[in-house]
Amino acid sequence: MAIRIQLDRMLVERRMSLTELADRVGVTLANLSILKTGKARAIRFSTLDALCRELDCQPGDLLAYEPGPQGSGDSDDA
Amino acid sequence: MRLPKLTRPTARTPRLIRTSLPGFALRGPRTIGPGSVSSLLKIALDVAYVLLIVITAALLLALVAAIFIPLSDIDITVTGDDGGLQQPLTRSLLLFGLGALSAWFGGFLMILRNLRMIFRSLTQGDPFQPENVRRLRQIGLTLAVVTAGVWVAQGMVAARLAPGVMDPQGIGELLTPIFSVLVVFVLAEVFREGARLRRESELTI
Repeated sequence: MAIRIQLDRMLVERRMSLTELADRVGVTLANLSILKTGKARAIRFSTLDALCRELDCQPGDLLAYEPGPQGSGDSDDA
Repeated sequence: MRLPKLTRPTARTPRLIRTSLPGFALRGPRTIGPGSVSSLLKIALDVAYVLLIVITAALLLALVAAIFIPLSDIDITVTGDDGGLQQPLTRSLLLFGLGALSAWFGGFLMILRNLRMIFRSLTQGDPFQPENVRRLRQIGLTLAVVTAGVWVAQGMVAARLAPGVMDPQGIGELLTPIFSVLVVFVLAEVFREGARLRRESELTI
């Protein structure tokens, strides 16, 4: 996936742990880890909303596009 | 004249109101999940499964016994509308009968085994497990083999054991079983789609 979630950088800048963010956002730590490691397939607007609210940032600060090999979304379904 | 103001629908999704009885909502009995109709069906399947195991084991024992123990020839009578037909009960006939019955019960045992697993997942409230696709396909395949076997065995009995007494079976009799097998295979694909959507939703944060 060419879309990256820059959660690490945002957390370091705000001196916040992943567990604390998970608590504040209302997402389980496991799900937030999936998001952080780039394994997530999609992100809900409600999650993005909560992340932006808690990290006090814009969606653009969290998401980045890195051109690379085009990975089809369904390739790992089999 | 002013029209009454329409209240805006709330964004909240309506919650399912449950009565105090576990497993029963206002709209009727719950079909999946713990304490639901599917858990009741699973118990029935468990009982049928144990019964089938006992019957299949008894038949297999009888089959093994028939291979090793010699038996005196007994005549069997095949009756039809226009009288009966005497046939000696030979060893090969007995072995064929017992073998066919064991295979038939064995096939249904496999189907029940997979059905039990599927109903277990329904009881857990998680029907779209990827394993259920494989289980449903196995059920369809077993059903197809059992049906074809019964059809062939019927043909053999009609031709050899009771010629003229039993009507030879036609292709038309296979239509309903073929339809059922196809429905099971289509259901398996529906479950595959469900499993894909489940995975998709799991990875949506």
